[in-house]
Amino acid sequence: MANTSRLYFTCIRNTLEAAMCLQNFPCQEVERHNKPEVELKTSPEVLLNPVLICRNEAEKCLIETSINSLRISLKVKQADELENILTKKFLRFLSMRAEAFQVLRRKPVQGYDISFLITNYHCEDMQKHKLIDFIVQFMEDIDKEISELKLSVNTRGRLVATEFLKQFI
Amino acid sequence: MILLQSPSRFLLQTLLNRVQNLEKGVELDYQWVEFDDVRYHVQVSMKYPQFLLLSVSLPTPAQEAVFSGGLPFGAIEAIKASYGVLVQILDPPKDGFNLTLKLNLSKLPPDEEYKHALLVKIASVREVVLGAPLRVVLKHLASRTVAPDINRPFALVHRPKESFFLVPQAEKVTVVFPMRFKDSIDTVLATSFLQEFVEARRTAGLNNAPPCLWSPSPPLELRGTAGEALSANAGFVTFVIFPRHVEGKKLDRTVWSLSTFRAYVSYHVKCSEGFMHTRMRRRVESLIQALDRAKPDLEKSKKTVQGRSFKRLSLKEAHTNSNSQRWS
Amino acid sequence: MDSAASRPAVVIDNGTGYTKMGFAGNVEPCFIAPTVVAVNESFLNQNRSSTKGNWLAQHSAGVMADLDFFIGDEAIARSRNSSTYNLSYPIVHGQVDNWDAMERFWQQCIFNYLRCDPEDHYFLLTESPLTAPESREYTGEIMFETFNVPGLYIAVQPVLALAAGYTTSKCEMTGVVVDVGDGATHVVPVADGYVIGSSIKSIPIAGKDVTLFVQQLMRERGEHVPPEDSFEVARKVKEMYCYTSSDIVKEFNKHDKEPGKYIKHWRGIKPKTGAPYSCDVGYERFLGPEIFFNPEIYSSDFATPLPAVIDKCIQSAPIDTRRALYKNIVLSGGSTMFKDFHRRLQRDVKKIVDARVLASDSRLDGEVKSQPVEVNVVSHPIQRYAVWFGGSVLASTPEFFAACHTKAEYEEYGASICRTNPVFKGMY
Repeated sequence: MANTSRLYFTCIRNTLEAAMCLQNFPCQEVERHNKPEVELKTSPEVLLNPVLICRNEAEKCLIETSINSLRISLKVKQADELENILTKKFLRFLSMRAEAFQVLRRKPVQGYDISFLITNYHCEDMQKHKLIDFIVQFMEDIDKEISELKLSVNTRGRLVATEFLKQFI
Repeated sequence: MILLQSPSRFLLQTLLNRVQNLEKGVELDYQWVEFDDVRYHVQVSMKYPQFLLLSVSLPTPAQEAVFSGGLPFGAIEAIKASYGVLVQILDPPKDGFNLTLKLNLSKLPPDEEYKHALLVKIASVREVVLGAPLRVVLKHLASRTVAPDINRPFALVHRPKESFFLVPQAEKVTVVFPMRFKDSIDTVLATSFLQEFVEARRTAGLNNAPPCLWSPSPPLELRGTAGEALSANAGFVTFVIFPRHVEGKKLDRTVWSLSTFRAYVSYHVKCSEGFMHTRMRRRVESLIQALDRAKPDLEKSKKTVQGRSFKRLSLKEAHTNSNSQRWS
Repeated sequence: MDSAASRPAVVIDNGTGYTKMGFAGNVEPCFIAPTVVAVNESFLNQNRSSTKGNWLAQHSAGVMADLDFFIGDEAIARSRNSSTYNLSYPIVHGQVDNWDAMERFWQQCIFNYLRCDPEDHYFLLTESPLTAPESREYTGEIMFETFNVPGLYIAVQPVLALAAGYTTSKCEMTGVVVDVGDGATHVVPVADGYVIGSSIKSIPIAGKDVTLFVQQLMRERGEHVPPEDSFEVARKVKEMYCYTSSDIVKEFNKHDKEPGKYIKHWRGIKPKTGAPYSCDVGYERFLGPEIFFNPEIYSSDFATPLPAVIDKCIQSAPIDTRRALYKNIVLSGGSTMFKDFHRRLQRDVKKIVDARVLASDSRLDGEVKSQPVEVNVVSHPIQRYAVWFGGSVLASTPEFFAACHTKAEYEEYGASICRTNPVFKGMY
C-alpha cells in the first residue's frame, strides 16, 4: 500500500517538474492585464495538454498547465463515511486559509476536492524545487492527517465510552 | 470536564449568593435554558428576601411518553423526599412551566456542610424531577422486584419529542436509546462513537459495567412499539442494568448518567470536533513553515519583522498593523 | 430554525479582561469570568515519534487531555496551586490572538457554565472595533462547524453600549462610547450605528492602572498589607471606597479637616498566619480615579486627560455629526462606576467646548453668535455590563433573528458571510 503511494507522489513530482516552466505572459484580450491563462482557457495556443494521474478510481490528480500558470487538482480517497466527512472538514479548513498558503485555490475545481493555482509570480518569489517539495508534502500531509484524524475519532470514542461505563462500577 | 455535572451551575451560584445575604432585600428575575430544553425561572422579591420562587419547564414529551398531571410520575414524591420542609410546591405552576417551587431559605439547616449539600440538591432539581420515573423503576430493581403495573416496555422523556425505552424485569432493566442527530457530520461521528461503546465494554477493567449493544435497527425488546418512535439516524444503544449498578449511592449516579446519555454523547462529539480544529491549526502552521522554506530571501525579511515569519496568516499582519495605529 | 427562535438567544461578550455571558432577556449576565484559559500542557511535550504501542497510549493521553483545562476564576486558582496548568489569555488588546484557547474557552462557556445546547439557540457575540474581517470568519467557522449554532451575529461592542442606553424611549444610535475596561480605554464615535473607525482614540489608562496607583499610594504611606495580597486588596479598596472628586486641592483640605468622616478602614486576614490586620484608606479614595483627569500624577508617559481625548475624538469626526456626538456621550465598562465620574467628565468636557465656542465668538467680534453646544454624559445603572446588556436587549427584538447569519447560509456560501453584520431595524 505504501509502495503505490510512493509511486503516485513520485509521478506527480516528475510531472510538476516538467510542467512548472512558467513565464510572464500579458493577457492577449485586455490591455495591460495579466491573468492566469489556465483559469480563463480562452486561447488554445497558450494551453498545454492536461495530465491526469490516477492512483485508482477514487484518487487522482489533474495537472493543467499554461504558459503563465499551473493548476493542480486533487481528489482524495474516501473509503467510508467517516473519512468522507473528515476530508470535507479538513479541506474546507485549509481552503479558508488559502490566503496564507498563497498557491492554494479558495474553491476546488469541479469534481475534485482541493486545487492549487501556481502563477509565474510565485515561481519568481520561491525556488521551484522547494515549491514542488511543498506541494508534494502538502498532499502527503493531507493523507496523513486524515488517517490520524480517523484514528483520533476512534480513540476518542473508546475513551468517551470507557469514562461513561466506569461510572457504573 | 468529561462527565456532565448534575447541579445547574447558575442556579447553584444564585442560591449561594442569596444565602450569604439573606436579610438584604433584592429584586431578582432570571430566565435561562439548559440542554434538552429544560427552562428555569428564578424570582426573588424585595419584600420577602428569604423566599425564592423557582419554576422549571420540562422538555415536551413525545406522544408515547406524555406526563400525567403535567409532571413525570413519581416527581412529586421525589421532591418531597429530597427537599422536605424547605420547599412548597405551588399549584398551579407558573404559566408556561411544569413546576413552581417556593423555597424558604431561612429554613436551611445551620450546619455548613449539610446546608451546602442541600443547596446542591436543589440545584439538581432537574435530575430529581425528570429522573423520577427512572428512579422508581431502578429502586425496584435494587430490591429485585418490579413496580406494580410497570412490567412491559414503556417510554420516558429524554429530550423534546424524543423518548427512551425501559424494559423492567425483576433481575435486570434493559434501557434502549434511539439516537438522533440533526447535523450530518455529528451523526457520522456519533455513530462511530456509539459503536466504540460495544468495543470498550469488552476490555477487562469494565467487566462489571452494564453490557451494551449497538445496532442500526430497533432491537427485539422494542418489538411492537409505534414506528415513529423508532426512527434513529445514529442507531440504537442498549444498556442492561443489574442490581449491582443501583445499590446505595450508585442509584443517583446511574439515574443521572442514563437521563443525560444523549447530551453526553453530543457534548463529546462537539469537543472532538474542537480538538480536530486544534490539530488542523497545528498542521496548517507546519505547512506554512514548509512554504516559508521555499522562499530564499526569507532570512532578510525575518530580521526586519523581529523574528516573526513574514508571510504569517494574514490575520496576524492585520493585527500588528491595527495595533500600531491604536495609540494616538 | 423556528424552535431556536422561540428560545432566548445566547449573548457572550468577550472582553480582553472579562467575558460576560448569559441569555437574552435578562438584565444581568449569568456569569462574568476572566478571559483566561489554564491548559494542561504536559501532553503536548511528548514527542510524536515512538513505537506503535506507546503511541496509542500517549495518543489516548493527548486525545482526552485536551479536555483537561479550566477557564475563568477556576483557571487562575488552578494555575496558582499547581504547575501543570499554564495560563493563556486568548484575547489581547481586544483581538483574538490564540484561536485554540478561544475555541476551548467558548466550549467551556457553553457546556460547563451556561449548560445550553448550542444547536438550540441563536448566538450574539461581540468584537472590538477595527477587528480584521478574517477574525469574524474564524469565529464563524468555530461557531458553525464545531458548535453547530443555528444562527450567529457578531456585533461591535460600542454599538451595543449605545443600545443599552435606552430601553423605553427612542434609542439613539449616534453617540460617543467611552469604554473604560480593565486593560485599555477606548473612545469610539458611532454615527447611525456605524463606527467611525478613523476617529477612534485609545488611552493606555484603565481599571488596572487605577488599582496599581492605589496599591502604590498605600505602599508609599507604609500600610501593612501582606505583599502577595496587595494587588487584590488595592482592587477591592478601589471598588468599595473610591470616588471622583471635583477638585483635588479642595478634596485634600476636606480630608485633612475631617479625617473621621473621610478616612475608611480596610480589614483583612493575612493569608500565611491567619491573623487579622487593618489599614487606613485615605487620599487614594479620590486620587485613584483622578488619574483619568490628571494622568501626570500616575505616569509621565501619557499626559492627555480623558475629557481632552474625548474632545479631540469628536473634533476629528465628520463635522455634521459633532453636535449629536457631544449630546450623547455614553459610559460603559466597570471602571466608569466611580461615584460622580460622569458629572466630573461632563463638567470638564463642557469647559473645553465652551472655551472653544467663546474663542471663536471673540474672533468674530461678537457679530455672529453660535448656538451653545450641549454636552451630555449619560450614565445609568447598567454601565458595568453595558455592552452585554445592549446585546441582551438587541437579541430580544424579533428583527434580530432575521439579521443573523444562519447555518444554511454558511454551508452554502462559506465563512465569508460572517464578514458583514448589518445594523438592523430593531436597533432603532
